[in-house]
Amino acid sequence: MTRAHVFFVATLLLALLAALSAGSARALDRTFAGSVQLGENVAPMEPSTNSGTQSFYGFTAELSGKIAVDLSEHVSANVKICYGCHGFETDMAYFDLRLNDELNVRVGRFSPSFGAFNLRHDPANHKLADKPLPYDMGRMLRMRDWNLGVLPSPFPDNGVEVDGAHWFGDTAELEYAAYAVSGFKAGQGSLDLDFVQSHSGSLYYVDNNNLPAGGGRVAMTVKFAPTVDLTFGASGMYGTYDPQNKFTYGIFGGDMWLRAGRTNVRAEWLMRRQTFDTSDQSALKYTVSPTGGDFFVKHGAYVELEQPLGGGVDGIVRVDGLLRLGNIAAASPLSNQATVLRYTVGTSIVIARGVRLKLSPELYQFNYTDANGRNLEVCLQTAVAGAF
Amino acid sequence: MRGWVIALLVSSALGACASTMEQTEGMDPSAVPSEEQADYAVFAQRCSKCHSLARPLNSGITDDGFWRLYVEKMKRQPSSGITENDKAPILRFLHWYSGLKARSDTKVDTKVDGGT
Repeated sequence: MTRAHVFFVATLLLALLAALSAGSARALDRTFAGSVQLGENVAPMEPSTNSGTQSFYGFTAELSGKIAVDLSEHVSANVKICYGCHGFETDMAYFDLRLNDELNVRVGRFSPSFGAFNLRHDPANHKLADKPLPYDMGRMLRMRDWNLGVLPSPFPDNGVEVDGAHWFGDTAELEYAAYAVSGFKAGQGSLDLDFVQSHSGSLYYVDNNNLPAGGGRVAMTVKFAPTVDLTFGASGMYGTYDPQNKFTYGIFGGDMWLRAGRTNVRAEWLMRRQTFDTSDQSALKYTVSPTGGDFFVKHGAYVELEQPLGGGVDGIVRVDGLLRLGNIAAASPLSNQATVLRYTVGTSIVIARGVRLKLSPELYQFNYTDANGRNLEVCLQTAVAGAF
Repeated sequence: MRGWVIALLVSSALGACASTMEQTEGMDPSAVPSEEQADYAVFAQRCSKCHSLARPLNSGITDDGFWRLYVEKMKRQPSSGITENDKAPILRFLHWYSGLKARSDTKVDTKVDGGT
């Protein structure tokens, strides 16, 4: 029996304990919520066709509907269905079995606790039209070169999570999470994670190997004043992604979120270290070093300031980037030290309560040129997002 | 180049349209009675951290019992920053606002979710 199996059995026992201790149920409560975002990425320097595209620059729609059912004070269920570029996807389908604030067991399909951004991944909950580069899932320019971000968000997976939080008076809160999930996937001989296969039903929503991935998160929120609080956290996950369980990925991150009044300052760093198959030298761009040549490291980070400007207008300034170190597919335009930096100045304007217009010009600075010899590119991300 | 010019024109037009309809996602402070201002301040500060204030304000919920469960659930959201002492002022404001909505709405049957 592996440690993952022990973890699974232990969490099931905890879940059973929580269910048996469920208090008297109030009347069954059902809630429904949803959001819609229509986006348009205007990228005038990109090719005029989406065939073999490096970015989605036409209209894109993201919509979601979520129902939450509170069966009792200790048991609840959530189901959230999303529609985006990938079609329909089950973003959430799980039970929460809560013994108390310090001990909750989540069972089903969910995004495991990692980092700070994923909590706000719904387009109605973040004020720019696109996500930070470490979490990008298809809005960035030259996304095929980079195979998206470090950890494209959201990242729903099947599994079980134990989490909880404890307040120390009114000044500090410690939260934790530990989980086992199926993990990311890729085919035999793949040089990187296959995020389409990881989230697609085309190859079944089951693990491609028999070893779960595991991870966890610890975060602390400190309140310095009634309107000033600071959260900092650390996250990590580890697993294998190929059918033979030979190749591994480890994703680690640190995050900070300062909120003073309505001003938000956020910073986050992620790093993915991944081993890959080096048996076919011809598939790789660089000669494989006999020591340490079988892995690459992909870093991603962002710093973001979000400031209300009055009259329902928010200003957002963000700097984010990716750094990829290591060998890569022979046909890739990236080098073994590839970078992209992005500078964004955006605004989010309330059109009506619950509906926002988002506008953000972006400047990309790559350390390699495209077919037209460019290493600088600009685009304008626009979107209208509403929540209900 | 032409695409970029069109983009700037379209975005300017959208921005102009939005500015003519602008309003905040929270309450107009002048519409909140002075005795509710302190409670509203706690509600607005805490409940705008992870989602728009439009979510609770547009929900149409008027059931105090439901709000109690829901604020408790939101308190448990990671990094929400909602403390035990924040719950009372938030619930007092929601009770007042629910009454206001109940008086102005004749049909209220939807509920809200944090959308996270």
